[in-house]
Amino acid sequence: MNLFDVMTISGTALLAERERAEVTASNLANAETTRTPEGGPYRRQNVMFAAHRPFGMPFGQQLATMVDFSARGVQVTGVIPDSAPPVRRFEPGHPDADAAGYVYAPAINPIEEQVNLMGAARAYQANVSAVVATRNMISSALEILA
Amino acid sequence: MANPIQAFTSVQQLAQPTSGVSTGDFLQTLDGMLNQVGDMHTEAQQQVTDLLEGKGQDVHSAMIAVEKADLSFQLMMQVRNKIIQAYQTVSQIPF
Repeated sequence: MNLFDVMTISGTALLAERERAEVTASNLANAETTRTPEGGPYRRQNVMFAAHRPFGMPFGQQLATMVDFSARGVQVTGVIPDSAPPVRRFEPGHPDADAAGYVYAPAINPIEEQVNLMGAARAYQANVSAVVATRNMISSALEILA
Repeated sequence: MANPIQAFTSVQQLAQPTSGVSTGDFLQTLDGMLNQVGDMHTEAQQQVTDLLEGKGQDVHSAMIAVEKADLSFQLMMQVRNKIIQAYQTVSQIPF
């Protein structure tokens, strides 16, 4: 593993955090959505992260990384819907109300989503800092020869 | 957009007309290194172009590619400076 691979690992984290921010923004945008193409109200989505071997490495290095469980990148392995049931509201005038006058709305708390978004933004910043730190490390190493 | 640095002329081509000596392992290493630096610049160029053309490219991956290209170029320049320095030192030996 060389220092460039550290940058690659931080790059995977940046990608993952961007996807997390996307999904959170989608949750926030659809907090009141009662209609989806697949039917029913919008379901809150969660991203699932998994440790992943860094890509762009020769096979031997990948094998070594997998064997000794050293540095790994992160990968979004899936976006899974939340299991929380939709919220039932009495709104007889709503076009999506059922026969009894109830509307099913997504169980999304906008405040929670905002905190998630802040978390994603901060994690993104932290990983950018890691990239900058790695860059500075490589620059420092180059000073040896100067 | 400005033209990228074109692929480097092979070190062997540069070295042979003047010296005529057979290429050693070191020159091959250096040549490989130059090609790698060239590849990294091409990659960075491609990623930045994709980003500017709105092809769904991530900002961060383009930035990281540019950083990698810059750092590898700096490394190449340091090695080049060192080689030139060594050459000059040797050439100043009085006969």
